[in-house]
Amino acid sequence: MSAAIGLEDLTKVYASGVTAVDGLSLEVGDGEFVVLVGPSGCGKTTALRMVAGLESVTAGTVRLGGRTVNDVSPRQRDIAMVFQNYALYPHLTVGENIGFALANKGVPKAERQRRVRAAAATLGLADLLGRKPRQLSGGQRQRVAMGRAIVREPAVFLMDEPLSNLDAKLRVQMRAEILRVHQAIGSATLYVTHDQVEAMTMGDRIAVLHGGRLQQYGSPRELFARPANLFVARFIGSPEMNLYEAALDPSGRLTLGSQRLDLGPLPAYLAPAAGPGGRRVIVGVRPSDLTLGDGAGDGDAHGRAGGSGGSGGSGSGGDAAGGWGGSRTLTADVRVVEPLGSELHAIFSIDAPAAGGRELTAAEDAEDLLPGLAYNGLARLGPRAMVRPGDRVTFRVEASRLHFFDPDTGEAMGRQADRSGATTPVVS
Amino acid sequence: MTRIDAQPAGAAGAESRRQRRKRRRDAQREAEIPVELYGLPRGTVPFLTSLAFLFAIFTLIPIAWLVINSTKTQANIFETFGFWFARPFDFFHTFSLLFQNVDGYGTFIQWFGNTALYAVVGGVGATALAAFAGYGLARFRFRGSQLAFYLIIAALLVPVTALTVPLYLAYAKAHLINSIWGMVLPSMVSPIGVYLMRTYADISVPRELIDAARIDGAGEARIFFRVALPLMVPGVVTVLLISVVAVWNNYFLPLLIFNINTKYPLTVGLGLWSDRAVNSGDADLYPMLVMGGLVTIIPLIVLFLVLQRYWRGGMLLGSIAN
Repeated sequence: MSAAIGLEDLTKVYASGVTAVDGLSLEVGDGEFVVLVGPSGCGKTTALRMVAGLESVTAGTVRLGGRTVNDVSPRQRDIAMVFQNYALYPHLTVGENIGFALANKGVPKAERQRRVRAAAATLGLADLLGRKPRQLSGGQRQRVAMGRAIVREPAVFLMDEPLSNLDAKLRVQMRAEILRVHQAIGSATLYVTHDQVEAMTMGDRIAVLHGGRLQQYGSPRELFARPANLFVARFIGSPEMNLYEAALDPSGRLTLGSQRLDLGPLPAYLAPAAGPGGRRVIVGVRPSDLTLGDGAGDGDAHGRAGGSGGSGGSGSGGDAAGGWGGSRTLTADVRVVEPLGSELHAIFSIDAPAAGGRELTAAEDAEDLLPGLAYNGLARLGPRAMVRPGDRVTFRVEASRLHFFDPDTGEAMGRQADRSGATTPVVS
Repeated sequence: MTRIDAQPAGAAGAESRRQRRKRRRDAQREAEIPVELYGLPRGTVPFLTSLAFLFAIFTLIPIAWLVINSTKTQANIFETFGFWFARPFDFFHTFSLLFQNVDGYGTFIQWFGNTALYAVVGGVGATALAAFAGYGLARFRFRGSQLAFYLIIAALLVPVTALTVPLYLAYAKAHLINSIWGMVLPSMVSPIGVYLMRTYADISVPRELIDAARIDGAGEARIFFRVALPLMVPGVVTVLLISVVAVWNNYFLPLLIFNINTKYPLTVGLGLWSDRAVNSGDADLYPMLVMGGLVTIIPLIVLFLVLQRYWRGGMLLGSIAN
């Protein structure tokens, strides 16, 4: 089976010399929903436009259903695309907008009307077929843009930030709508967004792009649990991962500022990462992987003193000296508490230098100006967690939930062995 | 039960045209930012408004004079106050003279037909070419497109008089003297039209719309006529007006290429009358000159009034989210 979309070393260099996409290789299986995500300017839209045929390819290949289409015009690629700005024809009615592609193909009028009505019904636009785009709300225009794409029953669907012009509530609604339509028609879809939440909630697989290069390609779970490098670690997950400069020695001792965490015998994939006398690493922990320990406020939670009386829910919890994976403790000073209703964010400070996260570093600098207010970490706690600003608390964290990165390359340590299975296509 | 409640339910929904228009006007007025908020000194607005009124009067005076004096006899044109009517009322008599052949110079009405023909063919042709070229320059990148555009801009700077002699010689060689094509072909070249259409296409036809049409499988010609052109209508109307008016008012070119009276347009024909009235003492021609002038400008005024509603922007509303 050849993939619906196959990109091989796809590269785009603009006449100005700017490299927008740099050696991008990925495959989208039949019926798969793949999200291309990255910050603005990462080349994701350029990549999508090359797949559409709206942008010339500098190097590499674009394949659609096994056919190389580098020099094939958009109209012969059997693709449909939803644009960020919808790009509806303002002088045509909703029905004419949806039917435009069919009219171009010379589909007879009766057949055309039948298919337009069917597409409109799918999207709840049946009553609006006679309206002009300017008479529609943002969400309705979005639906028309979708309708224009699905009416053609294309082999491949391309979407360029289709939800970015909608308000937050409508976006959530349309997210589900798009997935529903995708499941109904089952075409392979390549979806571009800068919003990692959108990527995580919608994608069967996610390709993270940065500076025109593919950072990681995998399922949402994989990206979240095993980010391949610092960029992915920071980009995926909200609130973002806490990252600190630390040292790791072969016996499994992690030095984090003045605190020491005994992680126990290192698993095989991490062993080479440690160095005698402690090798510099960047350690990351997700805000959701920090739980409140019992020693909150006792001020003596350094090293492995904490972790007593754990709920036991974490398996080897409570047995801090035990094998890899047991919980360890971390002492922190809570600065700000944000109760969000269903959860509570404790913004804290620990005395280890934060790594990577720009905002956090800036906040650290603020310590000079606002002593006692700077912070370098965030924990996502239950809604009824008893923490107040100014508290000294002990967080429990499982060693297996820690992420280790090489401070020089930014790559995840031991990822090479670990990643082997990550690039096999998921067939849904 | 109150009177309002007693009205049939349908009446509330069916809003009259006038009410709708009033509501739109009110909404528009509300959306405007009060001038006070611009930080202008008090009295600025009335001052500028009266200035605009003065200018309007200044431009309308010659037309008023034409209207008034078209009703007078030759003697009254010179002897009575120029800005008021005088007896006898000679309008219809003078008007009828426009249909008569004066001393074998041809009739006014023939010139009128000529002008209309030249203006329609030349103006429509100029507009069509400008729309094609402007869209092409705005939305396609090809080798030499910049150069072509700058050459067109440069053409705006060349005074027409400088081209007289070469143009005449070229026409003589091409046998275009006394030919309608000699008048129409140069009229169809409108650098200002191309410039305007390029600018207008650039702002009114979003690239994404063209991309969408390409993906929807439309060919380039279909994209132009079905997608781009409808969005360019206000610009097209502007260029059409400019082109038609330019041909209508053109004096120099027809003077150069026509030496048969029956081919003259209005401008050259009236010039001929004027010349005779002044230099040959043919004073009877004065009322006909005034009437001719009036009749000459009426089609242009009508054209402006008819086309102005297409001038409105806002066509793009709803196509692209901001």
